[in-house]
Amino acid sequence: MPKVSLTVNGKPVSVEVENRTLLVEMLREQLRLTGTHVGCDTSQCGACVVHVNGASVKSCTILAVQCEGTEVLTIEGLAAPDGTLHPMQEAFREYHALQCGFCTPGMVMSAIDLVQRNPQGLSDREIREGLEGNLCRCTGYHNIVRAIAAAQVVMHGKASELPRAAE
Amino acid sequence: MRMRKSAASTPARSAPGVIAVFTGADMAAEKIGVLPCSWQVKNKDGTPIAEPPHPVLAISKVRHVGDPVAVLVAETKPQARDAAERIASEWEVLPALASMEAALDAGAPLVHDEVPGNLCYDWHLGDEGAVDAAFAKACKVARLELFNNPLIPNAMEPRCAVGDYDAATGDYTLWTTSQNPHVIRLLKGAFVLNVPEHTLCVFAADVGGGFGSKIYHNAEEAIVTWAAGKLKRPVKWTADRTESFRSDMPGRDHVTQAKLALDDQGRFLALRVRTLANMGAYLSSFAPCVPPYLSATLLAGVYTTPAIYAELKAVFTNTGPVDAYRGAGRPEATLLLKRLVDIAAHEMGMDRVEIRRRNFIPKDACPYQTPAALQ
Repeated sequence: MPKVSLTVNGKPVSVEVENRTLLVEMLREQLRLTGTHVGCDTSQCGACVVHVNGASVKSCTILAVQCEGTEVLTIEGLAAPDGTLHPMQEAFREYHALQCGFCTPGMVMSAIDLVQRNPQGLSDREIREGLEGNLCRCTGYHNIVRAIAAAQVVMHGKASELPRAAE
Repeated sequence: MRMRKSAASTPARSAPGVIAVFTGADMAAEKIGVLPCSWQVKNKDGTPIAEPPHPVLAISKVRHVGDPVAVLVAETKPQARDAAERIASEWEVLPALASMEAALDAGAPLVHDEVPGNLCYDWHLGDEGAVDAAFAKACKVARLELFNNPLIPNAMEPRCAVGDYDAATGDYTLWTTSQNPHVIRLLKGAFVLNVPEHTLCVFAADVGGGFGSKIYHNAEEAIVTWAAGKLKRPVKWTADRTESFRSDMPGRDHVTQAKLALDDQGRFLALRVRTLANMGAYLSSFAPCVPPYLSATLLAGVYTTPAIYAELKAVFTNTGPVDAYRGAGRPEATLLLKRLVDIAAHEMGMDRVEIRRRNFIPKDACPYQTPAALQ
């Protein structure tokens, strides 16, 4: 079986995989990083989004062997080692941007990439369009959009603290 | 579809890593029973419902997408996946029924040869004469046709089962993502595996989300338990997402016509409801009870409607077997009633709240016996 060597959440790993092993299978079943979810098997729902070299990727749609030498970031690697949440995670918490939580890891990872690619800032409409590859079956989009709008202010250095959600 | 050539005669058995392949015929030969339906309903005339056998693995005829035809046990999941691709029985495609209306047509193909007209049962509740009399003197009749569509539960964690067998004691253990381990032990022991209940232990640890979709006894639970005994080693099955979409029992799927009789003040006089309820290709554990006992009996809602008559036909089609999902029948009744009352208010030019106020069961009338609830 081929061996794939890459960095996952800052740590170098080498894993023996089948040729056909998907990145999400390697992450969940071999590295036991089960924060990345599989919601559809068909590249539609986005619950499995991770970052590969900083770009958001549906990990059910890329082979593990294609990730040789890359840096992969999953939801488990987002918070600082002392537990301080990434501004996007903090915003999801502050704005109650989740209901059942199943889509959340993919939403957060997609949202971070979306914000990073748009330093000029995004309107609510642009955020909604940017999330077209992520489905929330609780239909909790409204607060997800509010959270991302709030997080981008902190991520772009325009505020040191997250704007609080209204009581 | 009809199997022309059994899965057993394929090269899957000799694929790398394969430990065993079992078909429906293999399990029937070992006197494995069928999946039982554990909740019975009577027809209008008092006769029992049609309960065609639900084999653990399909034998000769496949009745819905997701109807399992063979079990392949291998050392690793990739080996199992590869070998499963070699299970390629030859099929004869038979006409399929996707809708209840088509299934009830005269001359429709039969899902089960032993069930004429694809009718599982024909049930009713309430006083038809009183309802007819009330409609005859009604000032207004509000009507609604409602398709409460089927849905696929798709739990957060797909279904999973691990069977184990202790050759020293003869005891079986099943770990399963179940909402209902006690009933599953009973059904599996008494009806499927035919082993005494005290030799079966069922653990339900992490369920992974259910809302009804993990409340029935499914084939995989019986199969891994039986296969563990046969192979004298633990056998594990985990559905992937695609398998979950295809093999979890869908919920709802009712087509209903309803009418509400009102007087000139917007007071409800009578309710008449006709429902077709899809059972799918087989009767799952609790399927027959959902449309009558968990739905029709709630048709009074919170209102004083004095006369209610509900008729129900449960129908076999070639969809997956329908079973309980989140509220199981009760949301179907509630949605129907809410929509019908809104229509009545709209058509009478009344406020939606006011029409409800006029028909609420008053506080001091409780406990209140509605004409639909079972006494």
